Amino acid sequence: MDTFILMGITGIGLGALYFLIASGLTLIYGLMGVLNFAHGALLTVGAFAGLWFATKVATATNTTNFLLSMIVGGLAAGLIALIAEQLVITKLYERHMDQALVTVGLALVIGAVLAGWFGNDLHTYPTPLWFAKGIKIGTAIIPADRFMYIGVAIALLIGNWALLKFTRIGLIIRAGVENRTMVSALGINVKRAFSAVFFLGGFAAGVGGVLVSIYSNGVSPLIAGSYLIYGFIVVVIGGLGSVPGSFLAAMLIGIIKQYANYYVTGLGDFVVVLLLAIVLLVRPQGLLGRVNS
Amino acid sequence: MKRNLRFSSYTLPILALAFAVAPVLGNNPLSRPGLLQTMGVAFVYGGLALTYDLLFGFTGLLSFGHALFFASGIYFTCILINHKVFVWWLSMIVAVILTALLAAIVGASSLRTTGITFAMVTLAFGEAGHVIVNRNFFNLTGGENGIALNSDRVPQFWIGVVNTKYLYWTALLILSFVYFMIWWITRSSAGRVFAAIRDNELRVQVLGVNPKNYKLLSFTIAGALAGLLGTVMLLLAGSAAPRFASADLTISLLLMVILGGAVTRWGAVLGGVAYSYLTTRMQDFTQSGSLHHLPKWLSGPLSEPSFSLGIIFILVVMFAPGGLSGAFYRLRARVISKK
Amino acid sequence: MTALHVNDLHVRINQAHILQGVSFTVPKHKVTALMGRNGVGKSTTLKAIMGLYKGTGSITFNGVELIGKETFEIASSGIAYIPEDREIFSTLTVKENLELAARKSTKQSAYEQIYALFPELQSRSAQRAGSLSGGQQQMVSIARVLLNENEIILVDEPTKGLAPKLVTEVADALAKVAKNETMIIVEQNLGLVKRVAEHLLVMDQGRIIYEGSPEKLSDPEWVHAMLGVSGGGAH
Repeated sequence: MDTFILMGITGIGLGALYFLIASGLTLIYGLMGVLNFAHGALLTVGAFAGLWFATKVATATNTTNFLLSMIVGGLAAGLIALIAEQLVITKLYERHMDQALVTVGLALVIGAVLAGWFGNDLHTYPTPLWFAKGIKIGTAIIPADRFMYIGVAIALLIGNWALLKFTRIGLIIRAGVENRTMVSALGINVKRAFSAVFFLGGFAAGVGGVLVSIYSNGVSPLIAGSYLIYGFIVVVIGGLGSVPGSFLAAMLIGIIKQYANYYVTGLGDFVVVLLLAIVLLVRPQGLLGRVNS
Repeated sequence: MKRNLRFSSYTLPILALAFAVAPVLGNNPLSRPGLLQTMGVAFVYGGLALTYDLLFGFTGLLSFGHALFFASGIYFTCILINHKVFVWWLSMIVAVILTALLAAIVGASSLRTTGITFAMVTLAFGEAGHVIVNRNFFNLTGGENGIALNSDRVPQFWIGVVNTKYLYWTALLILSFVYFMIWWITRSSAGRVFAAIRDNELRVQVLGVNPKNYKLLSFTIAGALAGLLGTVMLLLAGSAAPRFASADLTISLLLMVILGGAVTRWGAVLGGVAYSYLTTRMQDFTQSGSLHHLPKWLSGPLSEPSFSLGIIFILVVMFAPGGLSGAFYRLRARVISKK
Repeated sequence: MTALHVNDLHVRINQAHILQGVSFTVPKHKVTALMGRNGVGKSTTLKAIMGLYKGTGSITFNGVELIGKETFEIASSGIAYIPEDREIFSTLTVKENLELAARKSTKQSAYEQIYALFPELQSRSAQRAGSLSGGQQQMVSIARVLLNENEIILVDEPTKGLAPKLVTEVADALAKVAKNETMIIVEQNLGLVKRVAEHLLVMDQGRIIYEGSPEKLSDPEWVHAMLGVSGGGAH
């Protein structure tokens, strides 16, 4: 029973991280049809920006400073995403394949800049002491930071839902995901919505990057790669363009991976990849995705 | 007509001949083992890029798992040789056959999907392969450090720095063979169907041709040839390593093909050779210290090969989507029209 | 008075030369019908005006050249579009579909006018638009255009695929809307056209082959020759 609770909750904690990464990816793809390979680089940007704040501005050993550093990370990543979008992606409007390819190039460049400036070694991210505390659930003891990840992920999910449901830009995004052309025909400049989505996607990635670094015991450009692949897997299993789908898929994958790794080290990766293949062959549009019209 | 714009059909064989003869032609850069090794590897990647181009540039299939088949050729050969299952040449042949089978199976399941979904499924299979070799499954695949090839079980003319030119020639030979195969296939009626599928799959279906079988054919051939190139890579590298199975490798294949020009065969090979050569050279350059007098914020990124590669790649995609070969043809057309 | 002037419009789609020099004039405050057999380029013409297809030539609206402009600019300058296949947003509610189309200049009274014209939209305002019937979706498509003050309304085959009773309802609604609006309507249904059109354009193979009075529609032989149909159709 201990194991069950421990695996379950840490699995959800891991799933929360995956969700943070996937949500930006799926929103960008859903609205703009762009598969953003630079998303992993944005994770790293957020991590380093957050690290800078957490070490040089306000040491993140208390919770407020930590949360601030997280937001700084998100803003930095969002900004870089926006700049990249304006400089490069918009120039390739409607050339979806080329847009995806260009993000591969961006990933290389941003990754190289970060590696060149900071090296590949792990830098420790200062955290509040309570992160390492064990919280007792039933008879299992779970590190407190897992709950932090879950909290942030839920906040993001709710924030995303609220944005989409209650704001005008959310309305435009929802309509645009379904039929971008018709939104333009109504006199709305969809491109502004695109830029907003890119920024928000980047923000989520940046926040995710900070948390992933804590989880991985340090900030380094090398970490982002495997998380990006998991991000893609989550996006596809959840359904391209569906944020709730990503949430569901992320939780599922996080839990499955934890369990698999518990019984056989390394099995987790393999099982998740198998799951992807199965889901795609049985239900190609993903859990909550729409069948292509 | 288009004839003026194509290479004379003798240019490539002449080029190949020049490369073949250079190592024994007196004291030129290609007579030294260092460059021979670099070029041998470059030839392998040139061929690999071409096999990827068969999938992507000719049939329109964007696969993110192509490294799987390259690695399959490498690992199967290495395991079969090291464990004394077959003699070296039979091990290679069996490895290629196994890779072809693997490609057929992976292809049959992945091709049930299309577009981005297909890309993701192939990514998944590729990653599964990467995980298998990385985690030392069944204690066969060696884990993170890979497996060193038991060089006693391999003809001695391939072993040792002195014999690098034989490796070089082997690589050149296999590259030529792969090029010839793909040239032949793309010019065949099957090849025309590949191109038709890339351009308009619906039209192909409407004409009563089943695109799935042709896609599978393209996928299997590309995979099998990648496996063949893998056997050569094993000789050049002396070991099987997980990096040969990584998604990073497939991404670099994509870069090679885009840089060289996706729709032409020689463009893809050029992209592969140039990319491989440049990355090796760049590693030497960045380690040489000539960047040290630049300010830190500049020398840092510049010492990372992916920085320059990424920028070049972005520029090519944005402004010269046909890659080097596309630019060549455009230039040629302009020169010709001025005559 | 001219609302819109199209001159030598050429549109190529995937190497097919769809519009081969289309020229016509759209008079203000009148309904212009654009007719022709399937595939001659009628929808393409409307889409080109909206900037959904890129073309060469000239499309002048109030003295402003539309070719080269972005769709959203064209739309917000006063040209509204009711597309073939309705294209309402199925994941949004009826109310949200309308709100999306609203601009800063939209008056509250506009909503009331719409609900007066289409009472069902008010009773179903919280319903997901995807679950509406074809006829109801068409009403949404028409209604959202009416929220704003438009100078021209482009309508593309509004009765296509609707059952005869619905054809009548939609025709009634359009006829009401058409009074005093400048409208270009692509329609195969002869009855509807005869009812609302004040100016007639006939297309064939990417060109305008007739521009003039709709009285010609009463001549069955002319109709058969120009349009290849007999002179019937529900109204």
